Amino acid sequence: MSNERQPLTNPDMRTSLPKREQPGYYAGFSTLKQKRYWDAATRKVIEERVSQQKPIRFFTPEEARTMHAVVDRILPQDDRTEERRIPILPDIDDRLYQNRLDGYRFEDMPPDQEVYRIAAHAFEEMAQTLHGRAFHELDARERELILKSIHQAKPQAAQKLWKRMNIERFWTMLVTDVVSVYYAHPWAWDEVGFGGPAYPRGYMRLEEGEPEPWEVREQRYEWRAPADSISDVEELHAGAKEHLVHPGQAGTH
Amino acid sequence: MSWFEHNTPLGGAFEKPKDDVHRLGAMQQIEVPRRRFKDTDLVDFVIVGVGSAGGVLLQRLARAGFKVVGFEAGPFWDTERDWVSDESGSHKLYWNDLRITGGEHPLALGANNSGKGVGGGSVHWAAFVPRFHPSDFEVYTRDGVGADWPITYEDIEPYYELLEQEIPVAGPAWYPWGKPHGHPYAPHPMGGVGDTLIAGCTKLGIPVSAGGPVAILSASHGDRPHCIYRGFCIQGCKVGAKASTLVTHVPDALKNGAEIRDHCMVARVSMKDGRTDGVVYFDAEGAEHFQRARVVLVCGYALETPRLLLNSACPGHEKGLANSSGTLGKYLMAQAGNVILGRFENLVRMYKAPPAHALTEEFYETDPKRDFARGFAVQTVGPLPIAFAKQMMSAKGLWGWGMRRAMMDYNHWSALGLLGEILPWEDNRIELADGREGRHEARDQFGLPVAQVTFSLKENDKKMIEFGKNKVMEIMWAAGAMEVVQESRYAHLVGACRMSKTPDGGVCDKFGRTWDVPNLFVMDGSVMPTQGSANPGLTIQALAARTADYLISQHEAIFAGDRRDMAKPPCRRSLAPPGTFTRGIPHVR
Repeated sequence: MSNERQPLTNPDMRTSLPKREQPGYYAGFSTLKQKRYWDAATRKVIEERVSQQKPIRFFTPEEARTMHAVVDRILPQDDRTEERRIPILPDIDDRLYQNRLDGYRFEDMPPDQEVYRIAAHAFEEMAQTLHGRAFHELDARERELILKSIHQAKPQAAQKLWKRMNIERFWTMLVTDVVSVYYAHPWAWDEVGFGGPAYPRGYMRLEEGEPEPWEVREQRYEWRAPADSISDVEELHAGAKEHLVHPGQAGTH
Repeated sequence: MSWFEHNTPLGGAFEKPKDDVHRLGAMQQIEVPRRRFKDTDLVDFVIVGVGSAGGVLLQRLARAGFKVVGFEAGPFWDTERDWVSDESGSHKLYWNDLRITGGEHPLALGANNSGKGVGGGSVHWAAFVPRFHPSDFEVYTRDGVGADWPITYEDIEPYYELLEQEIPVAGPAWYPWGKPHGHPYAPHPMGGVGDTLIAGCTKLGIPVSAGGPVAILSASHGDRPHCIYRGFCIQGCKVGAKASTLVTHVPDALKNGAEIRDHCMVARVSMKDGRTDGVVYFDAEGAEHFQRARVVLVCGYALETPRLLLNSACPGHEKGLANSSGTLGKYLMAQAGNVILGRFENLVRMYKAPPAHALTEEFYETDPKRDFARGFAVQTVGPLPIAFAKQMMSAKGLWGWGMRRAMMDYNHWSALGLLGEILPWEDNRIELADGREGRHEARDQFGLPVAQVTFSLKENDKKMIEFGKNKVMEIMWAAGAMEVVQESRYAHLVGACRMSKTPDGGVCDKFGRTWDVPNLFVMDGSVMPTQGSANPGLTIQALAARTADYLISQHEAIFAGDRRDMAKPPCRRSLAPPGTFTRGIPHVR
């Protein structure tokens, strides 16, 4: 029988988190192995995404060090083997360097580039004020606690810098930028079981989550985040704060 | 080596592109004549923006034999070479240039509500094409809110029928809401999200429409292939199965002698002796030109159209062109577009099938039992991984390991969209970010002030969203979800150059002719006085086809003077692209 009838993860039964070449519940699934079935333009874009090393040109070396340590906690990859980690900061740097915008700026926000420079300095100032060390020297938990205070819009230090922007909108921009890079990578598609590019072949099995002949069935396993992490919990944004949340922008309908 | 691992693309590498030949989808290949008219030529019509409305107008006017030039700020897409089957790589389809957004409920702009390139937003729409309901044209009369249109449903109905066959639309043979009608092409099969909507609605006794109406081919049509259910509709349809004016109307326009001047940004509409005499534009190299024209049609959608008219202010029109009523840029509308996400025990794999394939309009009309006017629709959506991750961020506040964990369950989630009617309010508006009177200052690469958008919900809107969101969540629970969350967002942009019965109530008359400048027209989503709970694309194209008929009937009077004849023009079915009208099943009378 299919594995798809099993219940979802039960938190009480979580086991530890070993390093894997391919985390996720679709062992053996590889979108890249299907590239022969992709059109040439798409193949080119995806192959470049996987092989190209983008330089850091927007951030200074100090800012890049800080932001790398930030991004590493927004989208942790400790469960991935070294050679299968997805670079994230170079793409954000590239967006800022090339001034690639999403088509708008909130009236209570400085330009995206200024936002990231202020933020990099604010994270650094918070680390120095709270711990007397550089942000990238903090352990995972210390960094995550700082990030959590930004998520909650209650920075415990560097208030003067943070006052220069709408902090909720900054958080949204940061997380958006990070997930937009990670989930654009074929290794992340393998992890979540997304079929990837599908032209000109298309799909045949549309209903009930059935896999195509070249997709695989789900094989769930239990896992838990590293014990020192605080980011594996949901913090609902709903309710009174909702008007502050960046409106959803992803094209759907 | 197994044949799965073989590296050669099955379709082969690209052949060297021939000059001026563009490929639109898998089968359609068209020759694109380069610029033919000179700036000094007096052309009959200049169209600013070749999108949903501009594409239809261009085709109609060219087929009727007029000299017509379409200006497009973005590129002429070669879909096989320029588009990719990839979420991140499709960013270039949007108008990504800077705009400033504010108000109590600021709108996200760019993706999802504007396009740049030939075909405009119809290149990346999800392609739901419901008609407006008869009630949409008389909201003020019925409910005392919003506005009445200067036209009725009966005025636009023949154009709905015509465009549904030109597109052509796939959907059920009997569509029960608004004025019941059928569709020319067969409904599409269901994907996982459609099954969710049907299961939830059926359990609650809510009627539901499966398989359309969508502007996606369920069978091949001429040189366009049928849908392959790959789910990348809003990334641009490389297949050519999803309709955009780029594949439905532009090829016929070019065949009939229209010119499209792509990568050309119109900076202002030029005025001389109370009439427009053409447009000032920047070419791809940034050089400024002036194109002479008898008539200018502005079709830049709800932000760029009012921005262009505001940027065209000149002596005698200090507050912007066609703004004697003071309504230019005002009554801007977006629809409530909350996404309701449900997690299921079984797999859904919502990336398969077109995001748009089932809906219900059971809550569309005003219901006296509810405490707000007007209503909403519920539609399928199918976010790909990046869009879904953003939804997990805003709906659940996730980041870090929580984000990774939720994303590993991507295939267990289904997503439904609310599409709710937000009413037109005077202070929801677009202005110029010109630094004057307390406004922001921001300019584009040509030195032109960008659009500054202000948007806030009012009481009726908030009540509608609250009720609608809860109703969609109820449907999701009824479908068997184990967890239901939602993200607030908005969809579509219309209004800001509304049509009106009298010159003091809006920017243009019922044919899009501006009240102030007799040879200047506006025709796109910005002319809508209200918006219903229907996706605006079909109505925009139908209005454009109707205006084309008016222009063809009245062109002598419009070319020569100010006379405003409001007689209804005949619906010219003979101007439809060949092989479209008279195909398919007839509508239900």
